[in-house]
Amino acid sequence: MFVYGLINSAVLALMAIGFNLTFGISGVANFAYGAIYVVSGFLTWSLINKLNMPYPVSAISTIIIIGILGALIYRFIIKRIRGLVISEVIATFGISIVILEFLRYVGFIGFKYSLPMFITGSVEIFDAYVDIQRLLIICFVILLIIALYIFTHHTKIGRAFRGIAQEEHTSLSLGINPDWIASLSMGLGSSLGAFAAIVILPLGTITVDGGYDVLINALSVCIVGGLGSTFGIIIASVIIGYAQTLTATYLAPHWTMIVSLLAILIILVFKPSGILGHQKELEERV
Amino acid sequence: MRRIILCLFVLSAVSLIFASQIKAQQYITLGVPTSLKLIEGYEGHKAAQLAAEEINAKGGIKVGKDKFLIKIEALDIRDGEPGVPVQEALLGIEKLILDKKIYAAVVGNFRSEALLAAMDIYSKHKVINIGTIAMTPKFQEKVLSNPEKYKYSFRNCLDSKYLSGYIQNMMKFISKQFGYNKVYIVTQDVLWATATGSLMEKWFKENGWTVAGFDKYPVGATDFSAGLMKAKSAGVQVIMPIFDMPTSGILVKQWKGMKVPALMAGFISPLMGSKSWKTFGSDIDGLMNVVFEIGYFPIKAYPPTVKFSEAYLKRWKEDIQSGHGAAPGYDTVYVLASAIEKAGTLNPDKVVSAIEATDMQGVVGRIRFDKSHQLIFGDNPKTAAVGAVMQWQNGKMAVVWPESIASDKIVRPSWMK
Repeated sequence: MFVYGLINSAVLALMAIGFNLTFGISGVANFAYGAIYVVSGFLTWSLINKLNMPYPVSAISTIIIIGILGALIYRFIIKRIRGLVISEVIATFGISIVILEFLRYVGFIGFKYSLPMFITGSVEIFDAYVDIQRLLIICFVILLIIALYIFTHHTKIGRAFRGIAQEEHTSLSLGINPDWIASLSMGLGSSLGAFAAIVILPLGTITVDGGYDVLINALSVCIVGGLGSTFGIIIASVIIGYAQTLTATYLAPHWTMIVSLLAILIILVFKPSGILGHQKELEERV
Repeated sequence: MRRIILCLFVLSAVSLIFASQIKAQQYITLGVPTSLKLIEGYEGHKAAQLAAEEINAKGGIKVGKDKFLIKIEALDIRDGEPGVPVQEALLGIEKLILDKKIYAAVVGNFRSEALLAAMDIYSKHKVINIGTIAMTPKFQEKVLSNPEKYKYSFRNCLDSKYLSGYIQNMMKFISKQFGYNKVYIVTQDVLWATATGSLMEKWFKENGWTVAGFDKYPVGATDFSAGLMKAKSAGVQVIMPIFDMPTSGILVKQWKGMKVPALMAGFISPLMGSKSWKTFGSDIDGLMNVVFEIGYFPIKAYPPTVKFSEAYLKRWKEDIQSGHGAAPGYDTVYVLASAIEKAGTLNPDKVVSAIEATDMQGVVGRIRFDKSHQLIFGDNPKTAAVGAVMQWQNGKMAVVWPESIASDKIVRPSWMK
């Protein structure tokens, strides 16, 4: 239970990191995130199976292509409505529906779509056999967090990201272009979504409807952890991940679906900014 | 000038004479109102189209002295997709009836509530409906509640009662072969799956089995470790899954990864077709799946399944992946064609009587309908339509039950031996 709770937490964290990064930097709640996750899976599958590209090349190509797609979505759609929160939500959710229904329309239906495991087989930990792929997810989350920390603290663009996140107008006076950085953050967030898809989807199959589940998971982790806070989402992932595993083990698996919703409800009642969220924290204090 | 006018006149006259002798080609239009973006609907439509093309290639359907070709009109009514209201599906059906003037509907509804509501529409317009997907036993109840009114509706596929019967037969077979009597039930948390699970739980208890647990997983679940660990610690010998959600393949992967020493035997829709081996690989080796209707993959012991599978592959360049809907969809067009020819008329009341009297060999076995217009199932394709139990054995879909068509014996997974 300990191991599977940890894996569940890592999966949730991986799903939420990209969504959180985009929101933390640009302030855009990217409701197309789930669709981007799914399209990444189908794109990788197509590159492997239709163009016969090697798996690593397909995966890297997908991350790059999806990153560019995310940046383009910002440049041509979100930029025009940036700051209008409701419009951003409607626009990104609209993009999500367009992408998912387009995938359905072009024939991505059925159960045949799956990505290969990085390493097959399982190992025994604490009297429980665990797939190596699941253990890799934990490793990837740790590596990703370290990489993001280095990127945001020790690179020029990363520091510009933080500058925009902290105070956009002051950053502007220092020569940082907010639209350019927001566009990059949307691209990077999308790439992280693609990365999550490539790591998680080998566990099962790629389906169009999966996009909505991913969005709900990412959203619930971010709300509980605090939108924009990387460490907040790690804490939230661990809380929700273990709560789901405990519920499945000691109550019944079908109650796991309400765990994240219940967590959102509780956090919105007691601390609407989330566990480590800074958004609206001042308003809450006032 | 006069000569030209004379020539034109003669030409026109000759054309008119010929035209009066050549009748316009006549068509019988069959509607396929279903969820075309779901695999059963997608393949059911293609199977019906294949049957129509085969019949047309032989000259069409003979009605008295006339010959009619079959035309298929499909419409995606999306009733199998989440969030789509029943009314929308019904509007789609009426659109086919009124705009496309369909003579009959085949394949049909996914959701049971949509099917039950659609039966009234078919009765109102006297349009014959032979469904091959929705499985509620309420269908039979509704037909019997007013046989005259609902006589236009038939079901040419398995219903959930027959499904339970097949799973029971599978468990009896396992018990007889290995002496197993301890089971863990895992189902998807949707009505049809939990209802089947509950029926089976009752049956297990009445038949000397111990039910160690009954877990219901929400749609979209991707981690089944909790249930599998409970099953393992309880020492069960059989895990009985009932799922049709795409992520349910993960259950089998985890079963293998966690080396749970129990047979996995039940119904997992995504692992029915040939491509599931390509998708999941040897992780699904050993899984036993109930096949709703035979015919979607070739079974040597029953040649019509081989012929149909090959014809489908040749026409559509891909194998059938769903164990439900495609083969019956193909048979349905032949049932209709045969009934129309026997009735010698397109009068729906007379054709309905001919369908009720149907007795023919189809891809799914012998096709006969009971009084409630439900296809009769059994365990031998010579006497009834047949479902089966197949097991993945080294990439092969091995039929292990019923004995009339079985090609192999049940093999336990390597970590159980």
